[in-house]
Amino acid sequence: MWLKETVTSSFASFIHGVKPEHLSKIVRHRSKRMILDSIGVGLVGSTTHVFDIALQYCQLYSPVAVSSVYGKPGIKLSPTLAAFTNGVATHSMDFDDTWHPATHPSGAILPALLAASQMLPPSTKPNGMDFLLAFNVGLEVQGRLMHFSTEAHNIPKRFHPPSVVGTMGSAAATAKLLSLSTAQCMHALGIAASLAGAPMANAATQAKPLHIGNATRLGFEAALLAARGMEANPLILDDIPGCSGFSVFYSVYQPKPLSTPSDHHEFLLEKQDIAFKRFPAHLGMHWVVDAALSVRNLFIHYAGSFSPSLIRTIVLKIPVSKYINRPFPSSEHEARHSFQFNACTALLDGEVGLSSFTESSIHRQELRELLDKVVVEHPEDNVANFDKMYGEVELLLHSGDVLTGKCDTFYGHWRKPLSKESLLKKFRSNASHVLSEEKIETIITMVDNLENLSDSSQLACSL
Amino acid sequence: LNIYFFFFSPQTVTGNFANVIHGLNANHLTDQVIQRSKRMILDTLGVGLLGTSTEVCHKVTRYSKIYSSDISSTVWGHLDFRLPPLYAAFVNGVAVHSMDFDDTWHPATHPSGAVLPAVIALSEAFPQKKKISGLDLLLAFNVGIEVQGRLLRFSSEARNIPKRFHPPTVVGTMGSAAACAKLLALDRLKCKNTLAIAASYAGAPLANAATQTKPLHVGNAAKHGLEAACLASQGLQGNKQILDMESGIGAFYTDYNPQTLPTLQSYPWLLDQQDVAIKRFPAHLGTHWVADAASSVRKKLVESSDNLLPLDKIEKIILKVPEVKYVNRPSPTSEHEARHSFQFVACSALLNGSMSVQSFASENVHQPALRELLSKTQLEHPPDNTPSFDSLYCEVSVTLRDGNTISDRCDTFYGHWRKPLKKEDLEKKFQSNASSVLPAEATEGIIETVYNLENVEDCSVLSTFLSGRSARALSEKRHAQSNIVGLG
Repeated sequence: MWLKETVTSSFASFIHGVKPEHLSKIVRHRSKRMILDSIGVGLVGSTTHVFDIALQYCQLYSPVAVSSVYGKPGIKLSPTLAAFTNGVATHSMDFDDTWHPATHPSGAILPALLAASQMLPPSTKPNGMDFLLAFNVGLEVQGRLMHFSTEAHNIPKRFHPPSVVGTMGSAAATAKLLSLSTAQCMHALGIAASLAGAPMANAATQAKPLHIGNATRLGFEAALLAARGMEANPLILDDIPGCSGFSVFYSVYQPKPLSTPSDHHEFLLEKQDIAFKRFPAHLGMHWVVDAALSVRNLFIHYAGSFSPSLIRTIVLKIPVSKYINRPFPSSEHEARHSFQFNACTALLDGEVGLSSFTESSIHRQELRELLDKVVVEHPEDNVANFDKMYGEVELLLHSGDVLTGKCDTFYGHWRKPLSKESLLKKFRSNASHVLSEEKIETIITMVDNLENLSDSSQLACSL
Repeated sequence: LNIYFFFFSPQTVTGNFANVIHGLNANHLTDQVIQRSKRMILDTLGVGLLGTSTEVCHKVTRYSKIYSSDISSTVWGHLDFRLPPLYAAFVNGVAVHSMDFDDTWHPATHPSGAVLPAVIALSEAFPQKKKISGLDLLLAFNVGIEVQGRLLRFSSEARNIPKRFHPPTVVGTMGSAAACAKLLALDRLKCKNTLAIAASYAGAPLANAATQTKPLHVGNAAKHGLEAACLASQGLQGNKQILDMESGIGAFYTDYNPQTLPTLQSYPWLLDQQDVAIKRFPAHLGTHWVADAASSVRKKLVESSDNLLPLDKIEKIILKVPEVKYVNRPSPTSEHEARHSFQFVACSALLNGSMSVQSFASENVHQPALRELLSKTQLEHPPDNTPSFDSLYCEVSVTLRDGNTISDRCDTFYGHWRKPLKKEDLEKKFQSNASSVLPAEATEGIIETVYNLENVEDCSVLSTFLSGRSARALSEKRHAQSNIVGLG
């Protein structure tokens, strides 16, 4: 009797059956870049206030404290709480990677894998290749799930994608690292679905980093529960009319089975690279910033220096997306989610960086004056989609002249990826906030050579 | 300019909720609310104690034991170990929902299981010198119930038996958060942030109902609500309009119309207007109508044949029930599925006369006589049978080989809010449940404590009983300790 394979079981088979040999060179290369960036972003994130709160909270429940915490060499936490804390760190400044369809993939899986690697007994420690494979399983599952809904292609409105697919990706990745059976992988996905899904409204608030923290932690918990025999709905990814499974997070949902990895499995990362951020703000900001920098140069050339008094109006041509359209942000979290703020900061300072989002920077008089001049337009051809959007900044001067800067693809986008030097520069800059130069170089070398590492928990230990 | 805006801006629903959570006090509790909520507390404890013996509970306990710390709370039914408050809330919440034996409200959710484990666990986490009274606990519990009920009224979708998100995971998480915020006596701002943070933990899909994972929905609601309150207490902030926005709690509903709560002046609690249903056997509420109708039909059938069901004379069984896909299971194979099967409960009640905890034991689920009856059972969905716990009915018709049909209909089962369990029966259910894991002294102690909850000075006595420690042993221990310290 031939049974048609369900979508859910095809995912379980994939997670269980995929092997290191299936990772292509490009996929290995790209995922190592992601791992490095994610660690760096997490390290600098360990200096934030939201991180402090998360850490303090988790320290109440310490005892099986075997897993490392970014930037805190003297502290260890229980594995899932370490994952939580490090996940919060990773997303604390919105500095982590973004994919297409839209989500923050690495922060949802790396912390769980790092924590899990330290949890396993010495005799069964996964090597670097196992680790890299598990990481890619986590990415792949996230990507595949997002392809189940056309809704996922655009910047989200209801559920924050990392909280939906990220949780599932973490469950898949940790299930892989822990070598769960096919059935257990399936149940891990089922349990994880009941832990997924946070609403968009908490984006641009201090609670947003928890979305990644919880995605990586709860997906990990799901795998741990599945490892202990917990069972869930074996059709969780399939479309079940009248009784929603994973489909509940989407209004349009068309699940497709994954092919079992035979000799060749094409990972989504092969075809679709990731975007790395150059400064800690929502990805959409990167277009307007590059456009603003471009028009700023024109303006300086025109006027000899940046003279705001010559500007009558600043027109931003941006896609429609409510949660990143904020004329007067009042907190760092809001500022990271404001086209207006980022454009004006770029115009004023000639760059946007970590310090652009401090309290004093946000409330600067000169900046407020510029913000007052901003009007926003939503050209029809500017879709709210990270693959298609653009940013345009127009300076309408009192003289009547108009200067324009436009950006279709910012540097760091998948169409124009960061060079190795730029990526390392970002990592070193981030990591130096909390680690010594020696440790920084150790991590860089370890990640670069990940496939050859005999004990991947060394990576976590080096944080 | 800013101050002007502050005074004249319309109050947000979120801010209003925070104000109410913060402002409600013991004087607001009416007699009926006190009485009803104590019944809910007693039932929930009993159901939870019984639930500690389930496989799902064993698994989550093993899992939670990974995390042990200095601050600890009682795991119901266990004297041998404790867990951090977060995981105690989780495990006890799972226990409460492990058999689908816990209370159900209208609009539909399982209100108590999401709140009680969290507030009890939290009450044990306070430093020694701060005592939580029974009244504090009762108030916090009711805040948690009230918030759930109010949120359920924000969407017409919530009036019917769910299809997308499992309600305890949406409103239950929020209720637990509100209750814990109350017990922690958080200020208005922190109450708001509690709600905001909790929203990011809410929501699990219905598809895990009728599986072993379903009990985790209530466990997680309790745990995550508690976590949200703790994080807010430490200063974490979220979206202050979480209840107002479509992209906030609105994300879980297709239609969403939030409203502000009534003023604190003689506050009208929902529990006053709308009681809960208490289950008589551990299965989905919808099956309770089926059980009563089937039992009644059985009585008529056995009248004429020596009190034995004439199995081979039965040609066909038709159940007229509302359309509820996840409770429509013609041939359930696990206890979880059996608890979510109109067909199974009908046949089981026909066969045995009444439903009990034992009806769902493996050997009974797979009983051949039952399987035979199941194969003859069909469902029909009359259009007037709406999938709402307030209006559904069930009609059971058994057609015999000789052409005769015996049928009966149940509009309101015993235990439903329209026909609440009598005190004796509520107690009987509790005793039957609790005595499976606790000694008589502890079960008596719990009944007495809950009945007298508003006058209890230190609610930790409840936790003591829940762990199975007897009062006498406790006072002996205290006596012994004071001897050691030299105060004896």
